[in-house]
Amino acid sequence: MSSDIILVIVVGTALAFDFTNGFHDTANVVATSISTGAARPQVAIAFASLLNFIGAFISISVAATVANDVVDAAVITPTIVFAGLIGAIAWNLLTWYFGLPSSSSHALIGGVVGSAVAASGFDVIIAEGLVGKVLVPALVAPLLAFLVAGLAIGIAYRVIGHQRPGVVTRGYRYGQVISGGLLALAHGTNDAQKTMGVITLALIANGTLGAESDPPTWVIVASALAIALGTYSGGWRIIKTTGTRIIKMDAAQGFTAQGSGAAVILASTHFGFPLSTTHVINGGIMGAGAAKRLSAVRWGVAGNIVTAWILTLPAAAAIGAVTYGVTQLFGSGAAGPIVVTLAALALVVAAFVRRAQRGSPLPVTEGSGR
Amino acid sequence: MTVVLASLVEGKELLQTVVAATVAGLGVTFAFSVAIWGFGRSVELGTKDRRLAAGAAAAIGTLALLLVLAAIVFGIVVMTHK
Repeated sequence: MSSDIILVIVVGTALAFDFTNGFHDTANVVATSISTGAARPQVAIAFASLLNFIGAFISISVAATVANDVVDAAVITPTIVFAGLIGAIAWNLLTWYFGLPSSSSHALIGGVVGSAVAASGFDVIIAEGLVGKVLVPALVAPLLAFLVAGLAIGIAYRVIGHQRPGVVTRGYRYGQVISGGLLALAHGTNDAQKTMGVITLALIANGTLGAESDPPTWVIVASALAIALGTYSGGWRIIKTTGTRIIKMDAAQGFTAQGSGAAVILASTHFGFPLSTTHVINGGIMGAGAAKRLSAVRWGVAGNIVTAWILTLPAAAAIGAVTYGVTQLFGSGAAGPIVVTLAALALVVAAFVRRAQRGSPLPVTEGSGR
Repeated sequence: MTVVLASLVEGKELLQTVVAATVAGLGVTFAFSVAIWGFGRSVELGTKDRRLAAGAAAAIGTLALLLVLAAIVFGIVVMTHK
C-alpha cells in the first residue's frame, strides 16, 4: 500500500516535471520565430504545443536510455526517482525564476543520479550509459548545432546573393514555420521521452513492470499531454532571453538556427541520446550569429547561459541527494515523499505569486499578440 | 584514460549522428535557399517580361521546395522506424 502511494506521487511529480519541461523549453522552440516576426507569439506557442504532443509518439529510444542505461534499475526505488524529480523541478524553477535557459534534461538526469548515489553509493551509476549516452553527446550536440548553423547561414547568404531583402525575409519567415514546426516535433520527441523513461524506471522499481520494459501506452499519452500543456503555458522570461538577448536575428538566421537544431535533435533521438534541446538551439542561435559577425553574439549573456549549463548537473544532483536524505528522515514509507511534496508545492506557489507581483517580464508591444 | 573513455563512448552512433545532422542541416538550408532564390528571381524576371527565364527560375524554386519537403518526410519516416 505504502509503495503504491509513493508510486502515485512519483507519477504525479514526473508529469509535473514534464509540464515544467514544456513550460521552461517553450522558449527554445518558439523564441526565434517570434523574434524575427515569423509568427505571432500565441500562434507559435499553440503550434509548438500541438507538435510537441505529436512528437512524443514518434520514438521511445531516449525513454529506454533514461530507464535502463544511466543508473542501475535493480537498486532504484520509487523514493529515489521521486527525490531525483524534485531535484530537477527545483533547478528548473530556479533557472526559470532568473530567466536562464538551462537544460531540463540534464536537471532530470542529474537529480536521479544524485538521489541514487545518496541512497546506494557511486556503484549505482552505469558509467558507460552516463558518459557515452549523456555526457559526451551533451558536449558534442551544442557544438555541432553551432557549427552546422554557422555553415548553413554562410550557404544561405551565398545562395540568396543580391536578391531583394523583402523577398528573402518573407521567404525565410515562411521557412521558419517549417523549421519551427520541426524543432517543436524534435523537442516533443526527445524531451517527453525523458519523463516516459523516469516513470518507466519507477514502475520497474515498484515491480509493476519487468526489467528492460518499454513505456506503457498510458505513460506515453500522459507524458505527451503534460509537455504539450506546459509548452502552451509558455515561459515568457526565457523567450525574451533566447529570442532577443543572445543575438538580434534576421529571418535567415532564425531559419538556420531552428533547422540546424532540429536536425541535431532528431538525429540524436534516433540513436537514443537524451540530449539537451536547450543547449542545441542556443548553440544554433550562437552559430548563426557568430558566422555573420562574432560581435553580433552578446557573449556576456551567452556566458551566463553556459554557467547555468555547467551548474545544472551537479546542482540538480545535490538537490536530489538532499531531498532523498530528507525523505529518509521520515522512514522508508510514504510519509517522506508526502511531506516533501507539500513543502515543494508551497515553495512553487510562493515563487509564482512573487513572480506575478513583479509583473510581466516581457514588455507587451503593439501587435505582439499577447 | 583515453582507452577507457573510448570504450565508454558509442563512437559509431555518435559519428552517424554528426554526419546525419550535418548533411540534413546544410542540405535543407541549401535547398530552401535555392527555392527562395528561384521564386525571387522568377518574380524579378517576370517584371522584365522574360517569361521563359522566369518560368525556369520558378521551376528550380519548386523543385528545391519539393526536395526540402521530401527530406523532412524522409527524416520523420526514419525516426518512426527505429
